Amino acid sequence: MLKILGRATSSNVQKVAWLCEELNIAYERTDIGGPFGGNREAEYLALNPNGIVPTIDDDGFVLWESNTIVRYLAEKHGKGTEFWPEDLQARASASRWMDWALSILAPRHVPVFAGLIRTAEADRDYDKIAAARDLWSTANAVLESWLADHEFLSGDTFSIGDIAVSPFTYRWFTLDIEREDFPNLKRWHETICARPAFKKHIIDIGLS
Amino acid sequence: MLQLKGRINSSNVMKALWVLEEIGLDYEREDVGGAFGKNHEAPYLGLNPNGRIPTIIDGDLVLWESNSIVRYLAATHSAGNLWPTDPVARARCDMWMDWQLTELVHGMVPVFHGLIRKTAEERDMDAIAAARDDWAGKWRILDDHLSRSTYIGGDSFTIADIPIAPLAYRWYELPIEREDFTHLKRWYDLICARPAFQKHCMTGLS
Repeated sequence: MLKILGRATSSNVQKVAWLCEELNIAYERTDIGGPFGGNREAEYLALNPNGIVPTIDDDGFVLWESNTIVRYLAEKHGKGTEFWPEDLQARASASRWMDWALSILAPRHVPVFAGLIRTAEADRDYDKIAAARDLWSTANAVLESWLADHEFLSGDTFSIGDIAVSPFTYRWFTLDIEREDFPNLKRWHETICARPAFKKHIIDIGLS
Repeated sequence: MLQLKGRINSSNVMKALWVLEEIGLDYEREDVGGAFGKNHEAPYLGLNPNGRIPTIIDGDLVLWESNSIVRYLAATHSAGNLWPTDPVARARCDMWMDWQLTELVHGMVPVFHGLIRKTAEERDMDAIAAARDDWAGKWRILDDHLSRSTYIGGDSFTIADIPIAPLAYRWYELPIEREDFTHLKRWYDLICARPAFQKHCMTGLS
């Protein structure tokens, strides 16, 4: 059976668990990272030299990088579905948002999320958090403008492009921060929130 | 004809130029970004709302994010060669491409910008040294991988090599301390022998 190594509270683990739920892929998950530790130990580093989560073991095939895992599982279990269409242009459009989540969105959200959720109140640098929030907002403004013309990120249907971005949008709408009025982002986010698999693996886990 | 927008001294544009050369596809290129500007003007933002480069236009498809451009061009023009059709082989490539975005590039940016795009007075040498150490730690991970693999994706040259090699060029060309990463160097020498890499990526630092 597919093994997922990584704690349920990691946004990167959440992408993988969410896709498995959407595609009815059976898996076993082991808590690693954060308060559970284990990710800097030799046994884990031999699987993933970066020491971060998630890593999967699919009957002996070891893979890390969450978006790569999502692409691989979609290719194996969801090829030709709306999640991972055969058409290479549709794929490229979804893939671009996955890369964008890695290159722009996730790094901009980290100082805000880590600052407010994983830092004790006495240790928080609110000026830095506010500046990071402003930068994160510019990424959300890009989503807002895109979603004004698109139902989902890669077009008319839900795809793995949406999976790579949504865990961060959930944090945007849930953290105790100032938020600009992004009506299209809100509309898209509410559509995503209505998916039972998203509720189970992201909303019900909350922020920690 | 395929259109590519972006200045040639961007490592992200180099990825697109290099893959286009490898697959032998004709294209037109327009200088955008850096000293050429235009990337924050409305016509370009209409194509790419991030205002970054590169962007390609291929028929109805407007595509940005350099690694997605590499994947798309290889999938449409080099399936079974640069772009493995086997899902496991392709996932191995995807993993290192994503690693370039999530890990490798973050050490490079402060070192490259600090030494090449800033004046001597603007440079924070302590920050550059710390970033170099972080960057070296990433190369160490790749060096270990390359002790077991001829190319990054496996036995042959693939899309996995393309996002990483322009950064390796910077690692070997910048005036910095370098650890002796023998497997990385062996792989880098293989890459440097490719005419398309020489033409588009071994073009100096600016």
